[in-house]
Amino acid sequence: LSLTPHAKEIRHSPPGKPTLTNCRSPEKETFTCWWEPGSDGGLPTTYRLYYRKENSDTVYECPDYHTAGVNSCFFNKNDTTIWVNYNITVVATNALGRTSSDPVDIDVVYIVKPNPPEKVTVSVMGAKDWPFLRVSWEPPHKADTRSGWITLIYELRIKLEGEDDWEVHLAGQQKMFNLFSLQSGGTYIVQVRCKPDHGFWSEWSSSSYSKVPEYFHREKSVWIL
Amino acid sequence: CTNGQAGCHVLSLANLFDRVIQHSARMHGISNDLHSEFEQYFLPSKNQIGRISRNCHTSTILTPNGKENAQRMAREELTEVILKLLLAWRDPLWHFHQSMAHQHDFNNFSSNKALEMSDMVHELRKGVEKVAEKMQTLGIISNSVSSLASPEASLPSDSAEWRLMKDYDLLYCFRRDSNKVQNYLKILKCRIVPDHGC
Repeated sequence: LSLTPHAKEIRHSPPGKPTLTNCRSPEKETFTCWWEPGSDGGLPTTYRLYYRKENSDTVYECPDYHTAGVNSCFFNKNDTTIWVNYNITVVATNALGRTSSDPVDIDVVYIVKPNPPEKVTVSVMGAKDWPFLRVSWEPPHKADTRSGWITLIYELRIKLEGEDDWEVHLAGQQKMFNLFSLQSGGTYIVQVRCKPDHGFWSEWSSSSYSKVPEYFHREKSVWIL
Repeated sequence: CTNGQAGCHVLSLANLFDRVIQHSARMHGISNDLHSEFEQYFLPSKNQIGRISRNCHTSTILTPNGKENAQRMAREELTEVILKLLLAWRDPLWHFHQSMAHQHDFNNFSSNKALEMSDMVHELRKGVEKVAEKMQTLGIISNSVSSLASPEASLPSDSAEWRLMKDYDLLYCFRRDSNKVQNYLKILKCRIVPDHGC
């Protein structure tokens, strides 16, 4: 069996159109853009990202294709300016031609998605017959909240182990939240996420577990008597 | 509020900062809302909007465009930048509101927002001036903030350039500048009263 020359011709073509899928900054100081390749036209295909800054005609190529993994471009602090639009395009090239993605316009201020909060701890507080959980956390270490450069608000969610529904609480700018009226002896799962004032929610932090000690509700103890 | 009148509380610097920061956040929020409304309105020709080279009339005011630049600036300079930006928007926002009130494409809601924005930029400038005066009284910054002494004189000479701008571009520029103001105020606050929620 051999392929006819005709079939080969059909398989080879200029690259399909790549798509810029996402540009995100974790801390308003650097950012990364990701793309999805189109078809490679059956030939080795290279991808290059080009950008032009607002009110300038100079076209630059991506400064770093490696740091953020495959099909990505990382802009470090020196390559990142905020309150300036970046017009970004990805160009796919193979032996038969080149195809550009649709351009994307971004201002780093509006694409901030922080990393999840860190050091989420849950501790049992309060009296023996009326315990409550205190959840505390720290901002993601990359986000410089101390200087005022970025402001984060937090949200936490809690559920009993094995249950489906989360109870959600907005904590504002606080880095601590008390949870009351919990089930005696129940094991709770807590997660926290954060959002800058003009950006996106982070992913949820990994789960923290805490077991509420057995305690008797006052009404219940009366009823037992 | 002078000489300790009854029921008159002297606000701390941290409180004053929180007030102007909240005010600036609200102002930016409104500009954001209006901007999205405009975007929807212009949606069919959105690509065209993207191609317009937006030269904001405030582009002659040198503003730090990164964290380190903003942090390197002297307190007086940063205060000056904030005041200059706010003053540069006083007239354009007033005219923007007037022009919206006379167009039938926009509803009352948008027109009211434009008026609110115009009022807010004025109030915010007054507020920041109070903060700056307080910082001068406390000796936190020197008396070299020229926008305080003679506001009009600190406007760039080509400051009427905004008259040539389209409403959409004006709004686009204001959205950006109000975000800068908010960010610079936060930086300033955290440098001066770092123990208050920084």
